[in-house]
Amino acid sequence: MSRLNLQVGYLFSTTGSYELVARSMLNGALLAAEEINTSDLGVSLVPTILNPGGDLGQYSVHAGTLLARGIRHVVGCYTSSSRKEVIPLFEKHDALLWYPSHYEGFESSDNVVYTGAAPNQHVLPLVDYLLAHHGHRAFCVGSNYIWAWENNRILRESVLARGGSVLAERYFAVGDTEFGRVIDAIIEARPAFVFLTLIGTSAYQFLRDFRKACKARNIDQAREIPVASCTLSEPELEAIGCDAVEGHISSSVYFCSIESPENRRFLEAYGALFPDGPPASADAEASYNAVWLLARGAAAAQTDDPIAVKRAITGQQLDAPQGKVWIDPQTFHAYLTPRIGRSNCDARFDLISAARAPVQPDPYLVRTSSRFEAGTFPSLRLVS
Amino acid sequence: MSEPRLLQNFSGARAIVVTDRAGSVDVLTTALGRLNVTTDPADIVESVAAIDAATLRHERDIIFIDGDISDGAALPLSTIGGLPPAPVIGLLGVSAPSRLKALMRAGASAFLRKPIHGTAVYPALFVGVNEYRRQQYLEALLLDQDRRRRGRRDVVKAIIRTMSEYNIDDDEAYDLLRRRCMKTRQTMEDFCKDLVRSTDGQGHGEFAPRRRIAD
Repeated sequence: MSRLNLQVGYLFSTTGSYELVARSMLNGALLAAEEINTSDLGVSLVPTILNPGGDLGQYSVHAGTLLARGIRHVVGCYTSSSRKEVIPLFEKHDALLWYPSHYEGFESSDNVVYTGAAPNQHVLPLVDYLLAHHGHRAFCVGSNYIWAWENNRILRESVLARGGSVLAERYFAVGDTEFGRVIDAIIEARPAFVFLTLIGTSAYQFLRDFRKACKARNIDQAREIPVASCTLSEPELEAIGCDAVEGHISSSVYFCSIESPENRRFLEAYGALFPDGPPASADAEASYNAVWLLARGAAAAQTDDPIAVKRAITGQQLDAPQGKVWIDPQTFHAYLTPRIGRSNCDARFDLISAARAPVQPDPYLVRTSSRFEAGTFPSLRLVS
Repeated sequence: MSEPRLLQNFSGARAIVVTDRAGSVDVLTTALGRLNVTTDPADIVESVAAIDAATLRHERDIIFIDGDISDGAALPLSTIGGLPPAPVIGLLGVSAPSRLKALMRAGASAFLRKPIHGTAVYPALFVGVNEYRRQQYLEALLLDQDRRRRGRRDVVKAIIRTMSEYNIDDDEAYDLLRRRCMKTRQTMEDFCKDLVRSTDGQGHGEFAPRRRIAD
């Protein structure tokens, strides 16, 4: 039987402020292509790689280039703003975007397959963990775009519903690295935890500066004012540097430290193909899974037609590095396994907790959130 | 009366779709399904007349009306705010003034352009339902204000009677009445209405000691 040649675009910003994660995503996608091309699946992937350089305007230019070449499947994008930028093009060309990153939810485009975590698979588990183990006084610091805004809304609603408080929400432009004033404000406010939604170089600099400022005041930052995030991954831990790498809490569906034969095999293959790094990450695994799902779908459908492939992937189940992964036919988001980890000195995460089984994606939080937005009025108590 | 909180999760709601092209609402029903809003085949009807308005529940039901159908039937609207019995979202095909006007008259508080785009459904629900709830709140506020405005006559009478009976000025009389109505957890208007309709206006405990103080 002849092999099906499948043209696929890889759209990752391998330069720019979040290049580390994007490079690991590209590596995950390339590894999957390598494995598929040497497997007996009957599909040969032919990737075309383009780099928007972290420039939002370049995403639609590059996506347009790929689609104009007749490519109907593109794996890529990291930030939600870049995804939203390119979706209209995929709708116009009846093509499929395979979005391999965790995100804030409230979207379900017919032209996107979402293989990263939905908010009920990483944001809500982190909020539950923080409120149960660290207290109810939060300080939010984030990059000024939809990812941070929406995560902070989810956190705020959960915290307020449990009688806690959000002391402040501070936003910075993507790539900003001046955090002196906000760090002073955090130390002054002494929250139970910092909820970090900064991305890329901003996050690394914040974590370095915050640790240093706490050290100068004899504060054990990791224990007294821990930083929690849904984005922090292994390549980023290495970038933070050994002085500030330990003790950060991260919520993710994948950590390199997961003990399983599938993950060992994945890490070995990844390390052999990319010895210079960056190391694997949750988004690298989501990219790897996306490419495998695409190839499995195309093999089952015996065509690269996006509608046929989309229909075919709903019957597929991957033995992924994180465990079983499959696609929900209603939302085209993935069943994934939520986990919480704490970073250690080796720039890896120690697993603190994990869900017992893959969790159904709930991108609109219809099963997991309050019907109403959080009230902004104070809770009253009887005084006499 | 507090302002309604924004509804953001529509899980458990029921959609009723009024259209003569049932086959063209697949995108809508699929998108609603993702939000856990159910659309039974029996709830896709060809005319507003097919909807039993008496069974509608505004906190559960959401009605989508296709603006392209020429339907003489109409849902009953409330007298003050012109609100339908449940939120209405208009499905816009032809955007001519006559069709827009018909949907406005049906009480539409949000619109979805046809052909329907799946990602536009959640924003339309969010705006349509919350705008309906806001209008419901304003309508209730207006009704309450109107009722209280009509009760002002009794308040004036009660102040005059209290001034005369206790030989106090109007500010003191108002203050006395206000404290009394707060104690009995009535509105000023209701309390004064009871007071002026009682035969002697003395049946309210606090007045006796207050008179002694006034004396």
